Amino acid sequence: MVFSFGTRTPPTALTGEVVVSGLGKSYGASRVLSDVNLTMNEGEVVSIIGPSGAGKSTFLRCLNYLETPTEGTIEIGGARVVAGGKRPDKASLDHLRRVTGMVFQSFNLFPHLTVMENITLPQRKVLGASKEEAQEVANKLLKRVGLPDKAEQYPARLSGGQQQRIAIARALALSPKVMLFDEPTSALDPEIGLEVLAVMRDLADEGMTMIVVTHEMHFARDVSDRIMVMGNGGVLEIGPSEQVMSQPQNERTRQFLKAVLDR
Amino acid sequence: MDMLTQWVGWLPNLAPGVLVSLQLTGFSLLFGFPLGLLFAVMAEAKFLPLQWISFLFVEVGRGLPALVLLYLLYFSLPDAGITLTSLTTAIIALSWNAGAYASEYFRAGLAAVPLGQKEAAITSGLRGWTGFRIVILPQALRISTPPLAGLAVLMFQGSSLAFVIAVPELMSKAFQIASITFEYISVYTLTAVIYGSITLVFLGFVRVLERRLGRHLERR
Ligand SMILES: Nc1ncnc2c1ncn2[C@@H]1O[C@H](COP(=O)(O)OP(=O)(O)OP(=O)(O)O)[C@@H](O)[C@H]1O
Ligand SMILES: [Mg+2]
Repeated sequence: MVFSFGTRTPPTALTGEVVVSGLGKSYGASRVLSDVNLTMNEGEVVSIIGPSGAGKSTFLRCLNYLETPTEGTIEIGGARVVAGGKRPDKASLDHLRRVTGMVFQSFNLFPHLTVMENITLPQRKVLGASKEEAQEVANKLLKRVGLPDKAEQYPARLSGGQQQRIAIARALALSPKVMLFDEPTSALDPEIGLEVLAVMRDLADEGMTMIVVTHEMHFARDVSDRIMVMGNGGVLEIGPSEQVMSQPQNERTRQFLKAVLDR
Repeated sequence: MDMLTQWVGWLPNLAPGVLVSLQLTGFSLLFGFPLGLLFAVMAEAKFLPLQWISFLFVEVGRGLPALVLLYLLYFSLPDAGITLTSLTTAIIALSWNAGAYASEYFRAGLAAVPLGQKEAAITSGLRGWTGFRIVILPQALRISTPPLAGLAVLMFQGSSLAFVIAVPELMSKAFQIASITFEYISVYTLTAVIYGSITLVFLGFVRVLERRLGRHLERR
């Protein structure tokens, strides 16, 4: 199936399934990711934890080709991209990015656009939505993230927590199949982070498929179905959240958990 | 005769010169700024020949004094079978000069937009030209505005160089009057006042513009 931005093909043929196999990434001679595998069902939430430099961000950013993986296969929501060899064509990349939504640690809202424009412009350019349609979607999403009265504000006038919730709304506006979060609360004060985590928890409850790189152990344990522990560019272990937290199998996981939980 | 009466008498002769100076400046910026943006974008192109072309134009435009550029074009274009008015020749030379400097300011502006903005544009489906136009360029332009405004002022003042290839702009009008009346100090003082006041009015507009462009970044 050819699928590209700009067409309004209803994404009915897509599912929220994630199948990543043998994913690897090298920068020249330095290998930062090797043989990462992850299979997820629709509606599943996986948290990725692990020490700094483990490759968590690199892995997440390979999933939508913000980083170019050097080997492996990525299948997300009907999009399929094979790494290595020549760079995938535009249509495949568009498809991959169309089915994934991304939330960054530093929010990355467009500062020269109002909240409403931040949420409506992608819909209009990517989905070809009319202004009215886009605004209707935006208003619903603003309500959903608890900021219905901020539509006409510029991002600089909002607190970090509010900006991050808007960023989530912006990503959701394109109806992604899978949401990717890279430490969405790390730039926030702990209490402010809670309001973002609450939105993410709602999202998980509503059945969104999510991959969340996080240092929030409570979130990882309580909200995600499984936890994937990364270390040294690979997967140390992956399993049901409760089990990974209480009976980690891997020695390095045990050390990592001890270090963060004692803090 | 006191100076003010003198000045009032000269103004009708100088006014057309002011218009030509403004025309020359206006056209040089009108062509120079877009050219500069084009060179700035080409400098980052993946296709190397585009980078070389940009490099060549920018380095020549910046490397040569505007005066030399003016003379070169003025004398070489007719040899190449191209006959243009001296005003058009001056517009080409100064556009080139403005474009070369502007491209550096555009490059700096583009480089100052955080990488996260480009990534957010890509993940929002705003890639390629759309993302550049909607997300990157407006932010870069805001950053480039103050130096570009400074460049505009320099170009206005530099337009007086066109005097050497007989463009009938303000400076050449002043020179004519001075060579007839021998009132050098008086004529050039008036000329200075005219250049200075137009510059100040322009800078006032720029200040308003900058405030408008930066409004979205104010927290209150
Ligand atoms: N452009 C690059 N060139 C070379 N090495 C890189 C580059 N980007 C990242 N790396 C390396 O890849 C490894 C993994 O980095 P990554 O950012 O994915 O870690 P992380 O698990 O997200 O860490 P953190 O918790 O600090 O965010 C690190 O050792 C890093 O130095
Ligand atoms: Mg990281």
